[in-house]
Amino acid sequence: MSDAQPPRPPPRGPRVIAEDADAPPAPRLDFGWEHAVAPVAPPRVERRWSALSLAAAGVGVLVVGLSALDAANFVADQFERAAWLGWVTLAVVLGGYGLLAWAVLRELRGLWGLRHVDRARAAFARGDYVTAREEALDWAARVPAAAGIAPTLRGANDLDQMAALLEAGPLAELDRQAAAAGRAAAIQAFAATALVPSPALDAVFFGWRGVRLVREVAVIHGLRPGLSGTIALLRRCVFEAGAVGAANVAIDTATRAVISSPLVQHLAGETGSGAVAARRMIMLSRAAARACRILPPRP
Amino acid sequence: MSGLLTPVEDALAGLGDLARAVAGRDRVRLAVTGLSRAGKTVFLTSLVANLLAAGQGARTLPALEAAAGGRLKSARIVPAGIQATPRFDAAGHLAALAADPPHWPERTDDLSTLEIVLEVDPAGILGQARSLFTGPRQVTLELLDYPGEWLLDLPMLSQGYAAWSRETLARLRQGRRAAAAAAFLAFVDALPPGAPAEDGLVRRGFDLYRDALLACRDRLGFRFLQPGRALNPGPRGEAPILWFFPLPHAGGGGLAALLAERHAAYLADQRAAFFDPFFRRFHRQAVLVDALGALHAGEEAFDDTAAALSAVAGSLRGGLGLFDLLTGQGVRRVGFAATKADHVPGRSREALVGLLGDLVGRDPAGPLDAATSVHTVASIRCTEDDVAVLDGRPVAAVRGVLLDGGRSAKVYPGEVPLRRPDDAFWEHAFFEMPVFRPPRLPADGRSGIPHLGLDALLAALIGDLL
Repeated sequence: MSDAQPPRPPPRGPRVIAEDADAPPAPRLDFGWEHAVAPVAPPRVERRWSALSLAAAGVGVLVVGLSALDAANFVADQFERAAWLGWVTLAVVLGGYGLLAWAVLRELRGLWGLRHVDRARAAFARGDYVTAREEALDWAARVPAAAGIAPTLRGANDLDQMAALLEAGPLAELDRQAAAAGRAAAIQAFAATALVPSPALDAVFFGWRGVRLVREVAVIHGLRPGLSGTIALLRRCVFEAGAVGAANVAIDTATRAVISSPLVQHLAGETGSGAVAARRMIMLSRAAARACRILPPRP
Repeated sequence: MSGLLTPVEDALAGLGDLARAVAGRDRVRLAVTGLSRAGKTVFLTSLVANLLAAGQGARTLPALEAAAGGRLKSARIVPAGIQATPRFDAAGHLAALAADPPHWPERTDDLSTLEIVLEVDPAGILGQARSLFTGPRQVTLELLDYPGEWLLDLPMLSQGYAAWSRETLARLRQGRRAAAAAAFLAFVDALPPGAPAEDGLVRRGFDLYRDALLACRDRLGFRFLQPGRALNPGPRGEAPILWFFPLPHAGGGGLAALLAERHAAYLADQRAAFFDPFFRRFHRQAVLVDALGALHAGEEAFDDTAAALSAVAGSLRGGLGLFDLLTGQGVRRVGFAATKADHVPGRSREALVGLLGDLVGRDPAGPLDAATSVHTVASIRCTEDDVAVLDGRPVAAVRGVLLDGGRSAKVYPGEVPLRRPDDAFWEHAFFEMPVFRPPRLPADGRSGIPHLGLDALLAALIGDLL
């Protein structure tokens, strides 16, 4: 005979089992949701210096370091010759290196301005209100066209409001100014095509005018790019030009179709090429404006 | 409803959809249908919050993310235009849920709509080429919230007053409903066939009928109650158009003629104001069912819910005919969801899926039928699984914080049968699930809302569009 009890049926009626009635109110449940859903950062790619970078850095250290040592030795030699000669040499060396340091500082400031734009755009894109507000106010303090809107920006209590204020006010004005700069460059490009005698010089002129235009647009948007800042901006313009260019493909194709017509070429001479060059300047100004905007570019 | 849809309008709508799809600007109307208290408002609030958070990179909807192949770039609410329809206040509902003390949304008493734009990276080479001209692909999701009671007016559209009276009175005379409607039934049974169209008589009859409906809904948990606006008149309040009720002798003149006239006017008004603009054409459908609530409300309420769902499903245009396939119209996917799935422990959720499938009488999807799926969903997860000891043995339970008093409590929800249970089961019915507090919502819900199964339902409904 087995002692095993038959399994009891499970309790079937639903019921509430209150925990200790005298216990204080319990806190709301916390599933740690924000940590569970936090975006996964892409794996950090370990940056290694390439051989070329190492070589360039080595050359830089040698040039700067040795020239500094050489200058110091030279100053010391001059002091041995005569005190006044030493002081004059020291002043010349400090002046020269000071100007170089100033140039480097300006480059860094230019790059720093671009980083601010990146931070602001990223904050708007991911909906980070606090950072976006901080960056927008900082930007408004630097850009004259946005100075008047700073108090309203301070009162905007969500991202959409802030973006709408920026788009409708200062950014619309800056877009107009950038477009005007683009038109001025376009007129010059159009005229240069007729005046410059050789295609090689044409290329030089457009290269110089294009870089100048990008810098003008950057200044309009409150940036002061130096050499490296300009290079970084030009690189961005190449990407932004993809978006701008896509929207303009139809117009550009039509322009090309018209100017490649033998009849039009006969009538207009070099005017057709000038029109294409002018068109490119306008596109470049738009690409530069998109690259410098504090808000993510509109599709 | 299908009789209302003219082929020309369908063809035009199909052309419009096709043009938008070619331009990478798809519009998808997602009809969230559900009987009253099924949790539509909370479902929409959670859907909006979690989609917006997912658009910012948070992994709030992993199944949808997987279905979209990680191409979802952003999600944003479409700014308000010049719509005359109220706007669904997702932010307001979210703030109320996150507040201390929290508040669940009140009973919905009006229509409201909201649109969300999902920006998606193009999938194929053609899409990438198109995006050079039109920018990233955008899918606009149109959402609608409305009082669940109004949904039961759908089956009325195909009925005349006499047929409606006959069916409604037959239902009211059954089981526990008869006791709740005793005063009304006594009133109408005493009316002579040629009763005059006297105003006081009509008001008395309507008041008794409405009281009976309210008692059936609020005390007994019944859902198949018509007309919907008698229970939930909406923002316009109660109007003479609502003052009708079923009569045993519905074919005569006098009072019967007046009630038949109002019945017809009511249906015309509901059709013009609600069904035609909002329910006439949609592409995806989520059907929310409080299956557990129906189970706990007893056998009659359970069968009543099944009958209500069956009547609504029969009235909504379901499945795809040949013409629908040609015009691209019709409901392509239907997702049934048992809501409040956090009220049962994890191991019972599979059974809840089975029970819901049985409740909605899901037919196997034929070759021309809309693809259907059945899910369990908790739009806001308010409990965690726990173990309780009952009658000396451990049972799976859930634990949450009660809304009233804020005390922690375990709930044993009872057995969840895989299909409609036998008679012995109903001995333990009539259990009212307590209301739990929502969990802590970090950043006021801007990181999304903890949920169960919402992502799987969305993946089944709209995953193919992304």
